[in-house]
Amino acid sequence: MARYGMVIDTKRCVGCNACSVNCKMTNNLPDTNWWTRVLTEGGDEIDTPAGIFPDVSMRYITVSCQHCDNPACTKVCPVGATYKDPETGVVRQDYDKCIGCRMCMAACPYTGVRSFNWEEPAYSLDHAVGDADVPKHQKHVVEKCTFCYQRLARGEEPACMELCPARARHFGDLDDPESEVSQLIAKRSYEQLLASEGTKPSVYYLV
Amino acid sequence: MTENIATADASAKAPAAKFGGKGLNIGIVVAALVTVAGLALWVFQLSSGMVNTNMRNLDSWGLYITCFMFLVGLSAGGLIISSAPRVFGMEGFGGISKIAVWTSICCTVLAIGFVVVDLGQPLRLWELFAYSNLGSPLMWDIIVLATYLILSIVYLWATLRFEGGKGSATSLRAISAIALVCAILVHSVTAWIFGLQQGREMWHTALLGPWFVSSALVCGVALVLVVVIALRKAGYLQLDQKNIVKMVKLLGVFVCVDLYFFGCDLLTEAFPAGSGADIVAMLTTGPLALFFWIEVIGCAITAVIAFTPKLRTNPLIVVGALLAIVGIFCKRVQLLVGGFQIPNLDLPAVVSGPGLTDAGAALQSAGGAMVYFPSLLEFGVMLGVVGLGALMLLVGLKYLPLKPTEKSH
Repeated sequence: MARYGMVIDTKRCVGCNACSVNCKMTNNLPDTNWWTRVLTEGGDEIDTPAGIFPDVSMRYITVSCQHCDNPACTKVCPVGATYKDPETGVVRQDYDKCIGCRMCMAACPYTGVRSFNWEEPAYSLDHAVGDADVPKHQKHVVEKCTFCYQRLARGEEPACMELCPARARHFGDLDDPESEVSQLIAKRSYEQLLASEGTKPSVYYLV
Repeated sequence: MTENIATADASAKAPAAKFGGKGLNIGIVVAALVTVAGLALWVFQLSSGMVNTNMRNLDSWGLYITCFMFLVGLSAGGLIISSAPRVFGMEGFGGISKIAVWTSICCTVLAIGFVVVDLGQPLRLWELFAYSNLGSPLMWDIIVLATYLILSIVYLWATLRFEGGKGSATSLRAISAIALVCAILVHSVTAWIFGLQQGREMWHTALLGPWFVSSALVCGVALVLVVVIALRKAGYLQLDQKNIVKMVKLLGVFVCVDLYFFGCDLLTEAFPAGSGADIVAMLTTGPLALFFWIEVIGCAITAVIAFTPKLRTNPLIVVGALLAIVGIFCKRVQLLVGGFQIPNLDLPAVVSGPGLTDAGAALQSAGGAMVYFPSLLEFGVMLGVVGLGALMLLVGLKYLPLKPTEKSH
């Protein structure tokens, strides 16, 4: 029994979007979809700081599914198409089961994490890319970050972990006190997204 | 002159003979055509994608779910007004209970219809029974709604049997008691689909359950009033004005309760001057102000008409009832769009998929852009579903013995 989680160092993240792009590649995401996105905390536009030079501040927060320990989405799904995997703590999504009611999208407090395929998935390339074993994307169902479940099954880490040039991302078992992620949140101060919602997210942001 | 009065008298005495005929048949045909057109649009929505609606990832529900909320309310209200007098052994409203139940059955079917057209994968509906997640409020609603539909039909059937001299008054009273409880439950459960979601501040309040019931009573009673007055005018039934007045007074009370709940909610949101104040601003002066003020002013006018004896004339009663129905519909719009209007993570970023449409800008002049405004396709499908309801209502009036009898309640 593990509870996989992610620790992201906001002091290191440079907002390069390499995680977003590798996620998109690996999971062969349709053109419109992004499972991992980089939010700018600062000005009103992407990559702009708050304040007036020289007193400016800005940081990046990468947001994907928080794989909550107390997920709001799995509770409301009428058919159990989204569910928490007991072995890994990953919140999974079964495209074949999803009836497309979008109750999970209303329930999830984390804006923009879940996406619905409003039309037949379209791709810029005429061939699939990334992992061969990602489930085929479907029209009129909800999808989101799976912590690259196919890679976890092979003992690998999620795709967003690779390529991070700032080495801002850490992945591991939050239930194991010796793991890197557990050690990091024991030593450093951290934030969680919308902690007041009571969802107990498995993603921690070092500050 | 005298001749005119004579014919008017005759038609008032023998109204049944006048009702129906050509007008009703034309109505049925038109409703059937609208239904078929709606079905065609729904097939188009499924084949070429729900991208043709204006729902997007950040406003993932729209007109269909608004109508679903609204129609569950209409149906619950109709059943409550017809069953409550019988349950409590009070005098009824002059035999209109069968018509009230029939309108409520039609509304329930429509509510289910609106959920179905909102689904991305309607062919997987069977999974609701195979893989039911009994912890989901949506599942509760499906169970309660199905039970409610069956109960309403049983209640109507039992009423007809009783009036035909069969069945006992006690059993009918028992059925109406169960139907009454179910009617209240069905609307509470619908409220919980929204009210149990901690992620949407506007929805997350314990008041939502009782508030949905009060809104249901407002629009349900208003609908019964409009239908009954229209049917009396069309000569389908006779009804003493005192029964109408009784219902109008009741409508006035329900409207006041509903407005009171709204006041409680606004005060609780606004008083701490935290994030709840944004919601109050969104409603009173922001993008949803138009819908907010139509509801508040419309319902206030309804209350004035209901409580001022001089104003209780038939045309004004109909105006008041229609204002109440429109007001509650506006309430539904506020709830649905308001839930999506203020994002929790409001930071600039690339959005996954189409985040929003700019259709909300259509109402920009009225205090800022709404995140959602329906597309033409959505209006078309909605009309189709409403057409199905009209079809059911008219066919019921034509073929079912819904007219009041001596034993009616």
